[in-house]
Amino acid sequence: MASDTADIADMIARCALRDRQAFRELYARTSAKLYGVTLRILRDRSEAEEALQEVYVKIWQRADRYVPGGYSPISWLVAVARNHSLDVLRARKPQSDDIDMALDVADASPDPEQAEANRGERARIDGCLDQLDADKAEAVRGAYLDGYSYEELSERHKVPLNTMRTWLRRSLLKLRECLSA
Amino acid sequence: MSDANTIAGGDEDGFLVAEYALGLLDGPEHDRVRSRLKAEPVLRADLRLWRTRLSSLDSEFVETPAPAAVWSRLEQRLFTGQAKAGFWNSLALWRSVAAGALAVAVIAIGINVATPRPDPNAFAAQLVAALSAQGSNVSVVALYNETTGQVRLTTVSGDPVPNKDYELWAIEGSAAPKSMGVIKINARNDMKVAPDLLAGFGPGTTLAISLEPLGGSPTHAPTGPIVAAGKATTI
Repeated sequence: MASDTADIADMIARCALRDRQAFRELYARTSAKLYGVTLRILRDRSEAEEALQEVYVKIWQRADRYVPGGYSPISWLVAVARNHSLDVLRARKPQSDDIDMALDVADASPDPEQAEANRGERARIDGCLDQLDADKAEAVRGAYLDGYSYEELSERHKVPLNTMRTWLRRSLLKLRECLSA
Repeated sequence: MSDANTIAGGDEDGFLVAEYALGLLDGPEHDRVRSRLKAEPVLRADLRLWRTRLSSLDSEFVETPAPAAVWSRLEQRLFTGQAKAGFWNSLALWRSVAAGALAVAVIAIGINVATPRPDPNAFAAQLVAALSAQGSNVSVVALYNETTGQVRLTTVSGDPVPNKDYELWAIEGSAAPKSMGVIKINARNDMKVAPDLLAGFGPGTTLAISLEPLGGSPTHAPTGPIVAAGKATTI
């Protein structure tokens, strides 16, 4: 897996140098994952395909924004796909996630201590989600993985919107405490 | 240590950033938090932590093979009008160029032989090269007159690209490409082979055209994609 990560990071770096072969390899290796992201969030095949195309255009055009370091390369790619899909959901304003990409990477300094801390954070979240009530953990998953809004979450869980917001905030607070412990 | 980061700015901010990372905020609120993120490094550090925390959920996105049409559209959109392989060391490119060049060269010889040459200005060529590349619409025939050391380029197809210039290169074997200068794609080009190139110039020399910044490559090597290439063949 570690070598997978290094391979993908290397492909992204070569994309930044306009290496089309690297882009082709990157697509072959990662498009199924990113299609999984756009399809799950957009829940419509043709929209998901179009989003996937846009996502790879962004990756090709802005591969130079990826800074190896704290953030794993596949997480970075998933973040690009996820943010783009959320933007499509939100208002069909795909350009705005430019800034998201910049935010993703601008501070991702290759600081080894930070990278170590990040790895720790990643490993612990599953255990922390398990400590939440099942339906609250489900709401966090629904927001992250399905791109559900507060409205959709409150409908799905049959609670008023304000209750859902309170739920989620409490869950996030617990998650943060658990992860910082 | 992460505690200090996440709580900095107050709990309300901490929640907003987490909600932003989850994608829960609606348009205006999302935009508002984004402007604050641009200005406030503490919030950005918090965002990074949340994204890292949440990214462990990424494994739950199920891999689904994308339809082949997506890649075709992507490739067409990003690379159309330019050589597909785009790099000087692509064996596949050179192979396809060699095969294509031979076919066009045969036609060019046919034309050359069939056309009577009473015109004293006619170009007496001893070498021909057909320049093209897969995925590119640029196609050029080069004729070389050994006696005068002149190369004449005739465009078969190809369009000017705004803010770009086409540049012609000569390649001897595995040596680095040498520039023969910027060319006009929509006009006939007559150019003299420079003295430093003349010695090696002959059958087997590869001619290639790349797309470069205005005025030609800023270095002494091609920087843009090859849009056409072909080997010179004796007529």
